[in-house]
Amino acid sequence: MKTPKEILTKTTLKRRGFIKGSTALAGVLAAPVLLKHGHAMAQDKPAEIIVRAWGGVWVESLENGVSNAFTEATGIAVRHDLTEDNEIRPKIWAAVDQGRVPPIHINWDTTTNASKSALRGVTEDLGDLAGLDELLPLAQPSGMDGWPLVNTYSYVYVLAYRDEAFPDGPPDSWQVMIDPKYKGRVAIYDDGIGFHPAAQIAGGGTIEDIPDNMDAAWAFFEKLKANEPLLGEDPDFTTWFQNGEIDVACTIISNARAAKQNGIAVSWTVPKEGAKLDTDGMWIPKGLPENEVYWAKKYIETALSAEGQQTWCNGLGLPPVRPGLTPPEDLVGDPAYPTTPEDLERLIRVPTPVLVEHESDWFAKVNEIMQG
Amino acid sequence: MAPGTSVALGPLESWRRRLWPSRLDAYTGYLLLLPALMLVTTLMISLVMIGDNSLHLLDRATFRLGDAFSLGNYQTLAERPVYLRIIAKTMLAAVIVTMITLALAMPYAYLMVRTKSSGLRKLLLISLFLPFFLGQVIRAYGWLIILGKQGLLNATLTSLGLPSIDLIYSFTGVLIGLVQYMLPFAVLLLAPAFTAIPEELELASMSLGGRPWATIRHVILPLAKPGWVAAGVVVFTLTLTDFAMPEIMGGGGNDFIANAIYDGFFQLSDAGLGAALSIVLTLIGTLVVAIIFTAIGAGAAGSVNKVGATNDGDNPC
Repeated sequence: MKTPKEILTKTTLKRRGFIKGSTALAGVLAAPVLLKHGHAMAQDKPAEIIVRAWGGVWVESLENGVSNAFTEATGIAVRHDLTEDNEIRPKIWAAVDQGRVPPIHINWDTTTNASKSALRGVTEDLGDLAGLDELLPLAQPSGMDGWPLVNTYSYVYVLAYRDEAFPDGPPDSWQVMIDPKYKGRVAIYDDGIGFHPAAQIAGGGTIEDIPDNMDAAWAFFEKLKANEPLLGEDPDFTTWFQNGEIDVACTIISNARAAKQNGIAVSWTVPKEGAKLDTDGMWIPKGLPENEVYWAKKYIETALSAEGQQTWCNGLGLPPVRPGLTPPEDLVGDPAYPTTPEDLERLIRVPTPVLVEHESDWFAKVNEIMQG
Repeated sequence: MAPGTSVALGPLESWRRRLWPSRLDAYTGYLLLLPALMLVTTLMISLVMIGDNSLHLLDRATFRLGDAFSLGNYQTLAERPVYLRIIAKTMLAAVIVTMITLALAMPYAYLMVRTKSSGLRKLLLISLFLPFFLGQVIRAYGWLIILGKQGLLNATLTSLGLPSIDLIYSFTGVLIGLVQYMLPFAVLLLAPAFTAIPEELELASMSLGGRPWATIRHVILPLAKPGWVAAGVVVFTLTLTDFAMPEIMGGGGNDFIANAIYDGFFQLSDAGLGAALSIVLTLIGTLVVAIIFTAIGAGAAGSVNKVGATNDGDNPC
């Protein structure tokens, strides 16, 4: 005779066995349906993908190098949203926090700003993008786990100058920015972005002192203030050079190159103190429907493909994160288009975590000096 | 059907009575106030939320506002001289722009109202309304073309053998742009006030020996007070909160409070600091308008009871 315990154990085993068997059978029967449904979800194409971009040469290059190829391959239209990167960020943050669908699918952003969004937890994981292991180490964001964003190229904040103003050759030092001869005819970004480390060196400080002691940089900015600089954004530099309103500026090489390609007599150089090397990247905000995230990732894969990187980055005049591509003819040997260790030695690289933590303070400090 | 009610209005009137019975007629005024109250309530709710944000500090590990309440953002505003400078510069600009705009708008509005020439009136009206079709940004860019270093003004000066002047990307440039932007607002608020003044009063003043300046000072200005107070308040507050003109015409070194708020929210990603600046701007604007209303009167908010008599008893006749 079986004890109650034996009966109970046997019954339980029977029941467990039945549940296991039923679940397995249900799983086997449902698998094709689930796979088909999942496949359909992933392949369900949206009418369009919205990519935030910067205007001018930036969006033109993206369109020529990436967006057109993506549309051709997938049939999905690409809309470029030219909202300023600083303005789209709080909109995305608010949308994710409030459970709304974000206004864009892909944010083409500075690495520093993208890292802030990653720290806030509003970015999709991009670790499953195809071909990430083929990219340069620069592609992976530093200071955080995984791939909440992917860097797409690097760029240099060069010293751009109007050829006419320097008939004896290019200026060799950032000191030209505080030369009274160019009073009212110098320009930097309105928050000083790209110029902080250069000012630190030009002001007599060291890279090692960043971020703990930047007195040298602020002293240099004070002198710059006395030289009445113009403060603006990317498109302003082109306009100012075009109107002959400035002679020198600290700007991204792409802006100076675009001005030159448009017939404006502008050149650029990496001064002896060095110039800041930085990166931009792409990320996908959380809160998008699953199928749209899928296609947004496909778009970024197109941007990271050999063809995409070649055309896009050559349009911008920037070194891509995919190795082995051909640089634009006009930039071969240009230290502002770094390809060799010697080129990189001349450039100043501030780690992204330092920028994420301190750059806002630097913006505020520059603002304080310039509004004085 | 009530006498005077048309056949077409009959069903409408019937529906109105069903929705709003006659016994509620005494409350119709309150009903009409409802949209305005809803708007003000919405604004107040958003202001309370901004106020709440201003009491939390940004956590840079997560780029979210912290949970703890703090006056740290206000302390930052008080400790950083740049914010005090920006507030002072904005206030100074608001005062200067208000004074210059009123000084230019008064003769313009007076001439527009009093001129016997319909052609001149039309010209003044067209000149007044034309800028409204152009936004502030377009007008600012227009000034860039005119005042730029290689602009129309300097090209003219240079061609005349005169030295060029730097007005663009300066505080003066911002003021010029703002005065031009504010002028139509001021004229539109002043014109009804001048229209309400009977011309006979001006003739009486002059026939009693009053010189033009005495007539302006003792008759026109006091009677037009509702107009110029309203115009002054509108121009002052619009200037106080302006963003585009200092952004475009200031060259980056002549920010107003609104630009600092923008920087707080967008450039620094610090919603708490931006919110604190927003509260400060709101308080300054409210305080200044309250002082003006207390000291000078409610302006256009005070009705003209009868010819020449305003509701604050300031009857010069």
